[in-house]
Amino acid sequence: MQIVTKGVAGTMESSDIIVRIEPAEQKGIELTLTSAVMQQFGKQIEKVIRETLAELGVENAVVNAVDKGALDCTVAARVKAAAYRAAQCEDYTWRTKQ
Amino acid sequence: MYNIETGAPLSGARLLEIQAFLAQRGLTMEGAADFYVALREDDGTIVATGSLEGCVLKYIAVSPAAEGTGAAATVVSELVSYAWREGIGHLFLYTKPENERMFRSLGFYPVAHTESVLMMEDRKDGIGKFLAAIPRKKDAKTVGACVMNCNPFTNGHRYLVETAAAACDLLYLFVVSEDASAFPAKVRFELVRRGTADIQNVIVTESRDYLVSRATFPTYFIKDRASTEHVQTDLDIAIFTERIAPALCITRRFVGTEPFCPVTRAYNERMKQLLPACGIELIEIERKDGISASKVRALMEQGDLAGIRKLVPDATYEYIKDHIG
Repeated sequence: MQIVTKGVAGTMESSDIIVRIEPAEQKGIELTLTSAVMQQFGKQIEKVIRETLAELGVENAVVNAVDKGALDCTVAARVKAAAYRAAQCEDYTWRTKQ
Repeated sequence: MYNIETGAPLSGARLLEIQAFLAQRGLTMEGAADFYVALREDDGTIVATGSLEGCVLKYIAVSPAAEGTGAAATVVSELVSYAWREGIGHLFLYTKPENERMFRSLGFYPVAHTESVLMMEDRKDGIGKFLAAIPRKKDAKTVGACVMNCNPFTNGHRYLVETAAAACDLLYLFVVSEDASAFPAKVRFELVRRGTADIQNVIVTESRDYLVSRATFPTYFIKDRASTEHVQTDLDIAIFTERIAPALCITRRFVGTEPFCPVTRAYNERMKQLLPACGIELIEIERKDGISASKVRALMEQGDLAGIRKLVPDATYEYIKDHIG
């Protein structure tokens, strides 16, 4: 999936995460994460974000996420929505093969 | 939970209501916001507000009763989502230094500060990355800088650059990136680059959002409406002295004398006061024969190509000739 514009999904409400995705000037995923539970779950949130992007085939993007204690499923959903918007893709496949 | 109200722009009774709310929090609303958010109780009482003006989040305020309820997060969240949907991808805000922690938790990072105001941006080390991408020259001992809009690049600018470049080993020439002038930013940059290509020790670079931008120096872009006592340049100057100058080893800043524009003159005067304390010398260069970009633009209005020819370098002249009328 090719990121062509800016995409945003989510909020900064408690138990949610806001994810912003935009095209990258360099190769790879450049991720900035701010989290209310960075100490406890920072690594796990980052893992979910990167895995979700990989599942969607997003290889190059600048990703900015502000987390307020979202569960993994919420993180994945917000990343997907933001990525689809940033890719201007409406051919959604919400469930990925196990 | 509060009711979220969003809209743009504010007017009439709603504007007065929000102004009154801000006044209670010690904030005065100046200028019109592009978009605003208000949180209300079920009975309509406002408990929190925030606005977006260009790329700057403004007037974020929460009533004491709603503190600690996440109201500020809701407001910032709405503003950020709106800005991103509109394609504004780099956001700034000004706040009191004691609010740094709260805004950090909402994904903002410090850029620079004065005694009373902290400026933050929504990307981690955005300014650091901007600076890292600017070329260095190792053996340069005295490094100077000038910041110019060049709308368009004239013989006057050329004279200033030549004079400044002769006075240091390396000169950074920041061309204002804000697209708010008669000549588009890309064209202004290109004309400066071509018009100075023969001067070996000049590096032409963009100022992006960090120098003389709508975020750092809003009054510059509403010059005709601004009164000089409201010209707030301290943060723009703080970004230069705290971040840009140390990163690039700049010890001199060059400006042209400003006979016409009171806003630019106020900016130069303020730099005279603030720069020396930070180890930066401000050097004012006498304007050459009173050439100004506004004179060139006036001649363009009249279609006076011969007049323009005398005031601008070749590259600028060629561009104007091809684009006039």
